[in-house]
Amino acid sequence: MEYFIYLTTTIFIYAILAISLNLVAGYTGLFSMTQASFFGIGAYASAILTTRYGLPFSYSILVGILITTLVSFLVGIISNNFKNDYYMLVTLAFNAIIFGLFVNWQSVTHGSLGIYGIQKPALLGHLFPESISFLILVFIFFLPIYLISYFMVKSPFGIALRAIREDEKVAQLFGYNIKNYKLSIFIIGAIMAGIAGSLFASQVSFISPPSFALSESIFILSMIILGGLSDLNGSLLGAIFLVILPEFLSFIGFSQEVAAQMRQALYGLALVFIILYCPKGILGKYEL
Amino acid sequence: MKISLAIKNIRKNFNGIIALDDLSMEFKKGSIIGIIGPNGSGKTTLANILSGAITNDNGLFVFDECFEVKKINPDETAFYKISRTFQDVRLFNQMSVLDNVLTVISEKSIFDSIFSKHTDFHLKKVKKILEETDLWEKRNCLAANLSYGQKKLLEIARIMASDAKIIIFDEIFSGLFPEMIKKIANIIKSLKDEGKTVLVIEHNMKIITDLCNHVYVLDNGRLLAKGRPKKVLEEEKVLEAYLGK
Amino acid sequence: MSHGIAMVGGYVVFFATSVLGWNIFLSIFSGIFASGIIGYWAYVLVFLPLRKRKASSMTMMIASIGVLSIVQSIVAFLFTNKFQTMPNDLLIGKTHIAGGIITNTQILIIFAPFIVLLGMTLLYKKTSFGKIAESIADNENLAKIVGINTDEFIGYIFFIGSAISGLSGISSGFSSGIEPGMGSGLFIKGIIASIIGGIGNIRGGIVGSFLLSFIENIVAWKISGEWKDIISFIMLIAVLILRPTGIINEKK
Repeated sequence: MEYFIYLTTTIFIYAILAISLNLVAGYTGLFSMTQASFFGIGAYASAILTTRYGLPFSYSILVGILITTLVSFLVGIISNNFKNDYYMLVTLAFNAIIFGLFVNWQSVTHGSLGIYGIQKPALLGHLFPESISFLILVFIFFLPIYLISYFMVKSPFGIALRAIREDEKVAQLFGYNIKNYKLSIFIIGAIMAGIAGSLFASQVSFISPPSFALSESIFILSMIILGGLSDLNGSLLGAIFLVILPEFLSFIGFSQEVAAQMRQALYGLALVFIILYCPKGILGKYEL
Repeated sequence: MKISLAIKNIRKNFNGIIALDDLSMEFKKGSIIGIIGPNGSGKTTLANILSGAITNDNGLFVFDECFEVKKINPDETAFYKISRTFQDVRLFNQMSVLDNVLTVISEKSIFDSIFSKHTDFHLKKVKKILEETDLWEKRNCLAANLSYGQKKLLEIARIMASDAKIIIFDEIFSGLFPEMIKKIANIIKSLKDEGKTVLVIEHNMKIITDLCNHVYVLDNGRLLAKGRPKKVLEEEKVLEAYLGK
Repeated sequence: MSHGIAMVGGYVVFFATSVLGWNIFLSIFSGIFASGIIGYWAYVLVFLPLRKRKASSMTMMIASIGVLSIVQSIVAFLFTNKFQTMPNDLLIGKTHIAGGIITNTQILIIFAPFIVLLGMTLLYKKTSFGKIAESIADNENLAKIVGINTDEFIGYIFFIGSAISGLSGISSGFSSGIEPGMGSGLFIKGIIASIIGGIGNIRGGIVGSFLLSFIENIVAWKISGEWKDIISFIMLIAVLILRPTGIINEKK
């Protein structure tokens, strides 16, 4: 039962991540390879502020949002100058840079040693067992994020994003300020990823740089390609699949370390398979 | 203010090749102006420069006989109320017909667009335009799945939805059968009746004579002739440019 | 994608020498060959179908990322994620040259690229291989009409490219050890070098690589090894802000 709750919590956290990238990549066509960096910034902000400075979780989320906004603003402005596969390369490079910061800025992040002892925030006193109240907390974040995204993509803002994805020069011709739109959605996606990161830190209670490396950005990409680009429910579905499947494998009896390898093989396979045979993914409305 | 846009001495050079050479033209409000010339004469370059896709090297643009600028940047095209169609039909392919038109009508500023909704007003306007272009039944169809003629109509629907005052049709009639040509010609005529300035880049001389009030002939980037269609098409030098000496 | 295949080369050599006990030359050869084969398989299974669909370069890129992830995870599964070094007795030995000492490993690393360059130049200039490659690069449809089986040919190119990459993985493995992630490390460095030098042109890639290595090593020497990586990233940011098209700006 505990395990089931843990799994569901993980799914919601990754669903937030998947939605964050889907908004940027699936709807707007910006295939950012640096979403894991914002995931990490949120995680580290939360971890550092709660363990080292004893600040409450709510503060750390706000600080996380602040930092992700600033960083994504800078990254977004620079990457906006690039298109398509070059955009992927440039964001990939940023992922490497921020990963390097996590590893080398040891005074702040403890480098490869990581930060441990991250607690789950207390919610509703001790009414429920800790794991359940944390699940509720995660859901409290997931639901608004889902709803906000839903209304955003249905609104004129959403149509603008898709037009930019389809043909940005034509969108510009008809009066859209494409730079501003691209930057805005990039920042919004980064903030969401940061929130997921802060939740993640409490979920796993120990974080270290490898969780936020390029492979994680690739994992997030796999979720939305599998579940389907340009569809929010697809993000949820992708998260469910790619979180449950590896767990299922480790269930069958493979060791923990092997499970990590299987996870990577799985999402690599998902990427290749979907692109080759089912480009829209499961629920997607857009194919590359 | 009869002349909505005048261009003066426009020059454009591509790595040594002169695409447009000292071009000056006047486009009147509420008229249809034909731009013709053999392949490579600079027609599409002109369209690109007018719509801000490319920047001219020299020259001036004069809007409404009073507002002068040296060049038109891509993010300014909408501001000058200029719009265009493309030779290679550029639609929002993985969006529906409805959304393609809705995009043009939607609230453009970021702040407003996040917090507003598509109102009945918007949807009514889209419906009207799609009905006029016979695309209403296909409104949920993805733009990529339309027939060639329908795609061209969709491009026109988008133009109709925009509040552009200067419209450039770049070979809109190519590859279409007569009924479609008639339909589109009628739409263009009604745009003219609304007071818009319509530029038609074309190869089909019958269309040019039927549709245009005024014609400019380009050859090798230079203005070869101008005037009423019938007269211009009888000029010797124009015939020579097309048929060779 | 070929960069990532580099690690396969390194691992095969490791496997061949430590587990199978083959001699050094056989191992290196099999490492190169294995990399090539895997690259070729990836082409046949993944990239060829995509080419036939006229997939965009972004689609190809995502597909390569997928392939790389799969290959990396398989290698990690077979050999564990730990960092390994090549068995020591392989290339021990130093040679004295002009008063300095150079290890055999370093000789391999320096000479390997030259051998590759020599081999490729010969291949290009002396055989029809080069002519065919050029014609495909110039106008693929025309090449097809003339009777060249472009799909098959590009398969060969994949093989060669992956094999060369495998060689660089082997060299790198000898000098700094192997781990499954080394492919992506090199991959990222390669990307940064090409962005700094100028995306899309060969000269830029070379200039970028040299500049990057040069500055990295100065930093490692003067400051400390840790910040070596950061420097490359800082350079990247500087280039992206000041001159986004890279140092050498060639129009395609």
